[in-house]
This record gives sequence, structure tokens and C-alpha cells, in this order.
Amino acid sequence: MFTSVKELVGMAQSQGLPISEVMIRQEMDRYQESREQVWQRMSENLDAMDRAVEKGSRGKGVFSPTGLTGGEAALLRDYRKDHVSLSGDTMLEAVQAAMATNEVNASMGVICATPTAGSSGTLPGVLAALKRRIDLSRDGQIRFLFTAGAFGLVTANNAMIAGATGGCQAEVGSASAMGAAAAVEAAGGDPATCAEAFAIAMSNLLGLVCDPVAGLVELPCVKRNAIGAGNALIAADIALSGGSNKIPADEVIEAMRKVGRQLPASLRETGEGGLAGTPTGQRFRKTIFGR
Amino acid sequence: MAGEYRSVFDIIGPVMVGPSSSHTAGAVAIGRAARHLIGGLPDEAIIDYYESFAKTHKGHGTDYAIVSGLLGFAPDDGRVPNAVSIARDQGVHIEFRECPGPSPIDHPNTAVLNMRRGQRQMSIFGCSIGGGTVEIRRIQMNGYDLKPGGMLPLLLVEEPSGRPDSGQDDPVAQLAGAGDNLRRSSSYQSADGGSIMHVYDLDKPLSELVLQKIRRAAPQMIYIN
Repeated sequence: MFTSVKELVGMAQSQGLPISEVMIRQEMDRYQESREQVWQRMSENLDAMDRAVEKGSRGKGVFSPTGLTGGEAALLRDYRKDHVSLSGDTMLEAVQAAMATNEVNASMGVICATPTAGSSGTLPGVLAALKRRIDLSRDGQIRFLFTAGAFGLVTANNAMIAGATGGCQAEVGSASAMGAAAAVEAAGGDPATCAEAFAIAMSNLLGLVCDPVAGLVELPCVKRNAIGAGNALIAADIALSGGSNKIPADEVIEAMRKVGRQLPASLRETGEGGLAGTPTGQRFRKTIFGR
Repeated sequence: MAGEYRSVFDIIGPVMVGPSSSHTAGAVAIGRAARHLIGGLPDEAIIDYYESFAKTHKGHGTDYAIVSGLLGFAPDDGRVPNAVSIARDQGVHIEFRECPGPSPIDHPNTAVLNMRRGQRQMSIFGCSIGGGTVEIRRIQMNGYDLKPGGMLPLLLVEEPSGRPDSGQDDPVAQLAGAGDNLRRSSSYQSADGGSIMHVYDLDKPLSELVLQKIRRAAPQMIYIN
């Protein structure tokens, strides 16, 4: 099993395979499952993602029980119809899908955690952009998820993916970096370029704190996923253009781990610091939980 | 390595009811492990939360998620948000306690389930390490204080002491290790010294066939997946 990005890229290069294929073969080998079984499971995860995007984008959207979040993916959908957007429609499609997913999550609907529920909108956001921009096939979308998962495994095993242990850089930061790497493969980039995109995306989100208002996975979580998806696309483009992060991916992961350890508990999913600690954040907590 | 994630589906997945993979899907997994340990729905469950779990369990749905696991629900089951009232309707006594101080198993997302089912009482110490993956770091039962490696699946087999410690010759260990599956085994003596509990940390789930064979060799075994 690969334990670093360097090993993962090395395995892909020496076997002349894309990262997604290295991941699929490892999964088959480890769990003694057929290619069809592994492929089918990932296909079901993709279905769950698509359903969440659709649900959050339909009608007036979905709303959380607290009323703190909801309906803004639908606002974006309408805005896209009658405005010339500033960041371009592909970007806004990504943002809409990301926010729709996290609004469904906050409403206690069904999502696919990638790698976590708090960061579940980032990969669907990137996928939405790829479907539109490069007409990514259904098989290509499933491969995208295997590539993202391979980079996520390295991140989870060498650093962390939970907000409580590493802040939001471990959740949306990881998801964004996974999405950047997978977007590069989907766009025809080689494994080394995937690793560059991963490193660029994660470097951009280092230090991101986990400060959910009232301890709920709503503010700022829903819009953080929009940033994660946008950042992934930007990092993928920079890498595909030949740009380099200079600091290798494995060292960025190690930096993320160290930053996560240095973050005080108040910025690691306790609902105490950051935005959660603002007067308005505290007022929401009192209104919702009565203390 | 810092973590022990093994499958791509630990990262892409699970499909689950929101809002938090650590606090919701992970909590379902801890509840399910507890159900496996005590052999069904307990009559009583007193749930202690520590650190991040203690601070945010209400907003994250941790309460209904833990109880969903006790009820045997999957993380994407539509009944998950109503699990606490479903269990109470079935006569289960449930309490949640926010504990001050650090986690007894050194993780910010910690839940300890103290359970009674009939005459049996057990405590299971679980932590949610992210993305819905959990570790069981401690189990207290029948006078034992067990400290497994953490990752699931786990196999617990009790035998009277006095029998020679057979180690690798132990048929259960051999069966559990089918296909190089055994990561670690450890043995604990009960408080009264009358028996021994073997704890097997496994790499991946056991097949139904292997489970049946182990059950024949050791009918009292407990499999936690």
C-alpha cells in the first residue's frame, strides 16, 4: 500500500497507469473483490452525490432545522440565469453544486462524505464543473473519485481529516486538494501533475480553522465548500499550465499535520472560537440552544 | 503513520444522513460496535461525551446517531434522526452526559457507552477519527479492562484460564488470521483470575464462512465490526 504521494506517483509512473487505476487495483487486491464490485460501490457513492446536488438545487432548495442555512444554492441557480456572473458560469456551477450538497447535509439529508460530511460539497462541486467544461463521462466521474480517494488516503494516514483534530484545513483543505489532483487526471494530466495540483490546493488552505457557529455544521461550512471547489479548479489549472508548488505534496501534508496540532482547541470544532465566538455567533448559539 | 485508513471507501463515503461524519456517521459506527458487544439493543445506555463531542453533540446529531447504531440502523437510514424516540418507545433507558476534562482514550471525539442488557453490563470507549471511521480503544466487561489496537473489526474470545496459552496453535487465531488478516492479538486475565480473554485485531471483515467456523470452536465469541 502506498504511504506517501511520492510512492503513489512512483507506482503509477512505473506501471504506466493513472492514479485512479492504482487505487482500484489496490482496493481489489486488499479486499479480494472483483473490479465490478469495487466499481459498483463507487458508482453508488456518485449516485448519492448527484441526488444531493439535485435535491439542494431544486425549487427553493432545502433548509436546516435551525434556519441558519439553506436556499442559497437555489439563489445561485436563479442568479446564473439572469446575470453575467463575475467568476464565470463554470465556476458558479461548481459553487452551486457544492453549496447544494452542504445545505442538504445541514438539513440532515443524505450525502456522501468526501472525506467528511462537513466537506461533502467540495468534490461534487469540482465534478459539476468538469461535467460542463470537459464533458466528463460517467466512467470518468467514477475514476475521478478513485483518484481523489487515493490522495485522501495518504492525507488521512499522514495528517488528519477531522475538524476536531486538525481544523477545517483537514476537511475542506483535504477535499479541495483531493479534487484538484483528480481534476488534473480527468483533464488528461499525468500523475506528477496531479501531485502538483494537490500540493498547490492544500498550500492555499493551510491554517483554515474549524469554527462552526453554535457547533453546527452550517456557518461557515456551507460556503467553505464553495471555496474548496473553486480553489481545486484554480490549483488544477495552475498545475496543468506547468506551474509548480515548489514545496512537494508530502511536505505540505506534514505541514498541515503540524499546523493542525498547533491550532488551539477553540478553533477545532468546539464552536467556541473564530466565527463561532463573534457576538452574532454567540447569539445564535443562545437562541438555538438556550445557553 | 498517524492514521490507519485502509480503504478508498473510508475516504469516499460513507453515504450518510448529515450533518457530520465524525459526529454523526462515526457515532453510528460506535453505537453499532456497542450493539455487537452487548449482543443486541441494551435495556439501558448511559452515554458519556468528552471534548468536541461534549461541546457539540446536540448540533451534530450525535445523540440520535449513537442510538441509531444501538438500534442497528445504517448511517443513511431515514429513521436515523428519530432514533432516540424510537429507542425510548421500545423501553430503552437513555441518558447523555457531557463530561468535563480530557478524553479517557486521548481523542477529542470520544463517546463512552455504559450499557446494561439483562444481567450483563459493559462499557465501550470509542472515538471518531474522521470521515466516519472509528476506533474502539477500550472495553470494560466481566471484570476485564481490554485495550484493543483501535481499528475494527475486533474478535473477542474468552476461555477458562489454566489451559496452556496456545498462541499460534490456537485454532481461533488461525481462523481469524485466514488470509493474513490478523494484525495483533493480546490476552487479558479476568480480575478474579478465573479466565482469559483473547482480543484479536483484524485487518478486514471476516467472511460468513470463517465466522461460522470460529463460532463452532468458540460459541461465546464476540465479533465487533
